[in-house]
Amino acid sequence: MNGHPLLEARELTVRFGGLTAVDAVSAAFAPAELVGIIGPNGAGKTTFFNALSGVVVPTSGELFASGRRLTGARPHRYAQQGIARTFQTPRVFAELSVGANIDFGLQFAGRRRPATGLLKDEASILQLIGLAAQRALPAAAITPSQQRLLEIGMALATRPKLLLLDEVAAGLTENEVEAMAQLIRRLRDELELTVIWIEHAVTTLMRHVERVIVLHQGRKIADGLPSEVVRNAEVVEAYLGDEMAEAA
Amino acid sequence: MKRDLVVLFGLAGWALALPHYGSEFVVSLGLSCLMYATLSSSWSLFCGSTRYLSLATSAFFGIGAYTGALVLGQLPWLAAIALGGAIAASVAVVMGLAVLHLRGTYFAVLTFGMTELIRHAISYWEKQVTGTVGRVLSVVPERDTVYLTMLVLAVTAVLVSIALRRSRFGLAMAGIGADEQRAQTLGVNTRLVKVGGFALTAAFAGAVGAVMSVRWTYIDPATVFNPFIGFQTVLIALIGGAATLWGPLIAAVVFSLLAETLRLQLPQVYMMALGLLLIVCVLYLPGGLASLRWPAIGGWRKR
Amino acid sequence: MSVGGWLELIASGLITGGIYALVALGLNLQYGLMRVLNIAHGEFLMLGAFFTWAAHSTFGISPLLMLPVSFGLLMGLGLVIHRLVFRRLTRTSPNLDVFEARGLMASFGLMFLVQNFAQSVWGGELRGYDFMADPVVIPGPGGGAQFAANKLLLFVLALAISAALIVVLRKTLYGKGVRALMQSPTGAQLVGIDTERLHPLMFGVGLGLSGVAGCLLSMTYTISPSMGEPYTVTALIVITLGGFGSMGGALAGGLALGVIEGVGMHFTNPSLKSLLSYGIFIAVLLWRPNGLFARR
Repeated sequence: MNGHPLLEARELTVRFGGLTAVDAVSAAFAPAELVGIIGPNGAGKTTFFNALSGVVVPTSGELFASGRRLTGARPHRYAQQGIARTFQTPRVFAELSVGANIDFGLQFAGRRRPATGLLKDEASILQLIGLAAQRALPAAAITPSQQRLLEIGMALATRPKLLLLDEVAAGLTENEVEAMAQLIRRLRDELELTVIWIEHAVTTLMRHVERVIVLHQGRKIADGLPSEVVRNAEVVEAYLGDEMAEAA
Repeated sequence: MKRDLVVLFGLAGWALALPHYGSEFVVSLGLSCLMYATLSSSWSLFCGSTRYLSLATSAFFGIGAYTGALVLGQLPWLAAIALGGAIAASVAVVMGLAVLHLRGTYFAVLTFGMTELIRHAISYWEKQVTGTVGRVLSVVPERDTVYLTMLVLAVTAVLVSIALRRSRFGLAMAGIGADEQRAQTLGVNTRLVKVGGFALTAAFAGAVGAVMSVRWTYIDPATVFNPFIGFQTVLIALIGGAATLWGPLIAAVVFSLLAETLRLQLPQVYMMALGLLLIVCVLYLPGGLASLRWPAIGGWRKR
Repeated sequence: MSVGGWLELIASGLITGGIYALVALGLNLQYGLMRVLNIAHGEFLMLGAFFTWAAHSTFGISPLLMLPVSFGLLMGLGLVIHRLVFRRLTRTSPNLDVFEARGLMASFGLMFLVQNFAQSVWGGELRGYDFMADPVVIPGPGGGAQFAANKLLLFVLALAISAALIVVLRKTLYGKGVRALMQSPTGAQLVGIDTERLHPLMFGVGLGLSGVAGCLLSMTYTISPSMGEPYTVTALIVITLGGFGSMGGALAGGLALGVIEGVGMHFTNPSLKSLLSYGIFIAVLLWRPNGLFARR
C-alpha cells in the first residue's frame, strides 16, 4: 500500500456559469474509512460527489486516486480506479432483471479486481444486500427501498475501493434506516471499503460514521470527529441548530 | 440461440437456391430483400440498442458504392467490397468521434446533415473536379456472384447481431441505451463502444453499397446518396422493432416486396405511404411490430 | 468591387435573409416552445409556394391576396397536424429525450409525405410566374442599386411580418404566455397558462409563417417540390446561431446568414451553395452544441 490517500481532492472547485457550487474543497480519504458529508440544502454535496466520481469535470482543482491524477478523466476511468457511486434517485436498468443489473457492473469495471469473498459473484452480492429472493424480477417491479439496495448492489458490483452513497437513507422508516446503516457498517468492516455518505438524516449519520465533513455554500467548514463537529459554532450556525444540539 | 441459428440457415439455404429456379424479377426482388435485410439488421444492431438514431446510412451506402465503382477495375471483387466497407467505417469513426458525444436527437439531426453534406460534396467534386456526372461500371461480376455476395453479407449481419447480443459489447450498448451515464459509472467506455458500434453499422452499409453499385452498373450521387435509402432502413428497423433480431428482417422482406411492386408504378404514392407509415409507427407502435408479441424485458438475460 | 456593387451584394443578401428569418422564426416557435424539431418545416414553405402559384396560374388570384390565405391554410394544416401527431406524442412519451426523438422521426415521415404529395400532384419540374418583376432603382452612393420590385416587396413584407410577430409576442397576453412557456413550462402552467391551447396554436403559427415565406418566394423565384429542404437546414443554422428561443436572435441571424451566404457565393462558386450550407450547418452544430439542444 503506497503512502498516498485512497482519494484526495485538492482545492476542488466546480462552477456553473455564475454559480460556484463547490468552492475550493480539499479532503483526503483513507482506506476503510466511514465518512459522512452533511450540510444544509444547496451546500454543494451532490455536486461534490459528482466531481469525485467524474460525472462532473471540476472547473479547477485536482483529484488524485492513490496518487494517480484523475482530474478530467472520463467517468468510466473513475469506475475502473475503484470509485463507485449511487445516485440520489435510483437509476437502475428498469428493463433488466435485478440479477442482470448487478451483473452489469461485474462485466465492466468489476473485472479489474479479483473475484473473491463477499463480492465474488452476482449471487453473493445479492445475498449481501438482501435481494437474493428478487433476483429474477424486473428491476422496475421491486419497491423503491429495494431499488435503493439494488443501486448499492450495482455499485458494489464494480468491486470498488471507495463507495459514494448519495442520501441512501432518505425517505426510509426508522427501522429501514438502521438496517441500511448496519449494511454500510458491514461494507466498511468486512470489505474494507471506504464509504463516503451524504445524508440528510443527520442524527443517524452521526451515530455511525467516524468522521464528518460539513459543507456550507460550497465550502468545507468542518472536518473531524462527530463529537467535535457538533460543537463547532460555525456548523451550528449554518445548519439546523436544534438537531445538532440534540445529537451532541 | 440455437433456434435462431437454425432459422437463419434455413432461410439462407432457401435464398441460396433462389437464383436457380427463380425468374429475373424474383432474383432482383430477392436481392433487394437481402440488401434491406442487411441494412436494417446492421442499423438495429447499434441504433436499436443505444437509441442513437443514425440517419447516415445513405452516406455510408454511397461511399461504398463510389469506392466499388472506382476500384473495381483494379481490385478483385471481394477486395473491392471489403474496401467499400472499410472506407465507410473509417468515415464513420471520424463522424462518430465528432458527434457521438452529443445527445440522441442531436446525433440524428447531425447524421442527417452530414449525409447531405457528403452528397453535395461528392456531387460538386464530380462535376467540377473530375468532370463526370456519374460513373459507369464496366467490369462487373455475374448476377449470381452478386446475389451470393449479398446473401453472405445478410447472413453475416444477422450472425453478428446474434453474437453481439450475447457479448459484453452488446451489453454495453444496451446499457448506453438504457442510461448512458449510469453505464459510464459502472465502467463502460461509452465513447469507444459508440464509435465501434457506429463503425460496424457503416461497414455493412458500405459493403452493401459496393455490391449494389455493381448491380446498377451506373451510379451518380443522386442515386447512391439518396436519403431515401437511409429512410427506408430506419423505417424497416423501427416498424420491425429496432431492438429485436427478427423484427427488422421480417419487415425488410415485406417492404422489399412492396417496393418492387409499387415503386415502379406509383413511386410517389409509395413514398407517401412510407412517410405515413413511419408516422403511424412512431405514434402507435414505438417498439415496432415485435413489441406486439414478445414482452419487452431486455433481450440480454431472460431469467 | 465598387461601393455600389458591395451595397447591392449586401442588400441582395438581406433580401434572402428576410426569408430565412421568417422560416427560422416559425421553426423557433415550434422547437423553443414544444421541443418539436420539425425537419419537414421547409416542405410547408414549399406548399405555400405551390398554393400561391396554383391560385395565380389557375384563377389569376394575386399573390398578395394569397399572403393571408397561405398563412391561414398552412396554419390550419398545422393545427391538424399537431392534433393528430404531436399531441399524442406528448401524451405517450415517457420523457423529453424520447419525445424529441419520436418527434424528429415523425417529422421525418412528414417530410417524405408532403414532398412526394407535391411531386405527385404538381410534378417535379420547376414552375414559376411573373409578378412585379420590373426593376426599381434605389438612389444611393455609387450610383445606387437596382432591384426587381418583387424582391424589394419580399424583403419589406418578410421584415414586416417578422417584426409583427415579435411585437405580438412581446406585447400581447398570448405572446407573453408563449414566452413564459418557453422559459419555464411548469412555472407557466402553474400560473394558469393553457398549454393545451397554446401549443397547437403556436405550431400552427409556425407553419403559417413557413407558408407565407413560400408565398413570398413564389413571387420572385422558380419553385419545385424539392425546394423546401435547404430552407429547413438554413432555419436550423439560424436558430442555433441566434440562440434557440430568441425571436430577435432568429431575425438577426436570418438576415446575417443571408448576407454571409450572398457574399460567400459571390466570391466562390454559386454551385457551392448547398455544400456551404450543410458545411456551415455541421460546423455550427458542433461548435455550439448547447445552442440548439440545450436543456432548459
